[in-house]
Amino acid sequence: MQLLIIEPDGVLASLYKRALTSAGHQVNIYKGAQAAIESIDKNKPDLILVELNLPMHNGVEFLYELRSYPEWQYIPIIIHSFIGPEELSISESVKQHLGVVSHLYKPQTSLAKLIDAVGDFVPVA
Amino acid sequence: MSEGNNSARAGGAENSGERLFNALADYLRLPLVSIARSAELGKQENAKQILSSIETSAASALRLIDDYLLAVKMNQGRLQLELEPIVLSSILYDSAHKLEKMAKAYNCVVKIDNPTRAQPILGHRASLLAALTSLGHVFIEAAAQQDTKDKAELTLATHNSKAGVVAGVFASLEGLSNQMFMQSKMLYGKARVPLHNLTSDSGVGVFVADTLFEAMSTRLRVAKHHNLNGLAATMLPSQQMSLV
Repeated sequence: MQLLIIEPDGVLASLYKRALTSAGHQVNIYKGAQAAIESIDKNKPDLILVELNLPMHNGVEFLYELRSYPEWQYIPIIIHSFIGPEELSISESVKQHLGVVSHLYKPQTSLAKLIDAVGDFVPVA
Repeated sequence: MSEGNNSARAGGAENSGERLFNALADYLRLPLVSIARSAELGKQENAKQILSSIETSAASALRLIDDYLLAVKMNQGRLQLELEPIVLSSILYDSAHKLEKMAKAYNCVVKIDNPTRAQPILGHRASLLAALTSLGHVFIEAAAQQDTKDKAELTLATHNSKAGVVAGVFASLEGLSNQMFMQSKMLYGKARVPLHNLTSDSGVGVFVADTLFEAMSTRLRVAKHHNLNGLAATMLPSQQMSLV
């Protein structure tokens, strides 16, 4: 699967890329929302993993921006963040509307669990 | 009246200590997640590089805890501040050395710019070293988070000014302003990302540094060094050294 990951921390980004590449996925990582948006045009991902705590941009704003492009509306999103599901002040219905299929809290998500969560999604043909 | 003032000051110090603790606790999840995931990956892959990464994350987290404890003790008046003449170049080199491993992990270069005409200053050596290192920690992460393909760079620098000797940490960063910095000082320990234009985490190192500089009767502010932006404090030159 082609994965797009938005992860501002370089050390974590390297770890996630190694783990997910070893699991057989093609991974592109971006530090911020702007670069990620620009890249989606060239390499449409099958799945997006996003940290909500981003420099300069709010991760939730990124989700709304992504959904404003009709051609990207069906790309599923996994939130993988230091902000846990209980802390995020958006409802489940809004998450669904934004295409969020799972919300993983980083401190409690092992690499194995992350790989399983990604593996649960099969790309839409 | 003095008792009331003292209890008000103590109350203020406790409140800022609590906020600093909140910001520290929030930040520490990052190096601890790095350590946990590195250990998990290390079981499957080349362990040496992974173990080095674990060591760096743990060392920087422990150093930040020590800097925080020093800042809190200073702020609560529990540590006697003995000022001495300090040659800044030694502080800059010591700080750069402490930041070396973390800079390498984040693919960042640490430079020093200390013109020989910068005068020695009157300060507290341990606090100054902790403050510049804590600042450097935040700036390394901030510089590495910039959307650029170039290697990130950080400069520990000093220069003379009319008010005294300016010492701080600088990088090619956008979005730093005094207004943003002032707002962040009200938000730290309450908001997740008080320095949202700088870094995506709590930026606790900046507030630890600010607390340490405050104990030395100066404050951090946004400053420029050549074409770089950063945070710096102004310190008084040491008259003692200048008489030698």
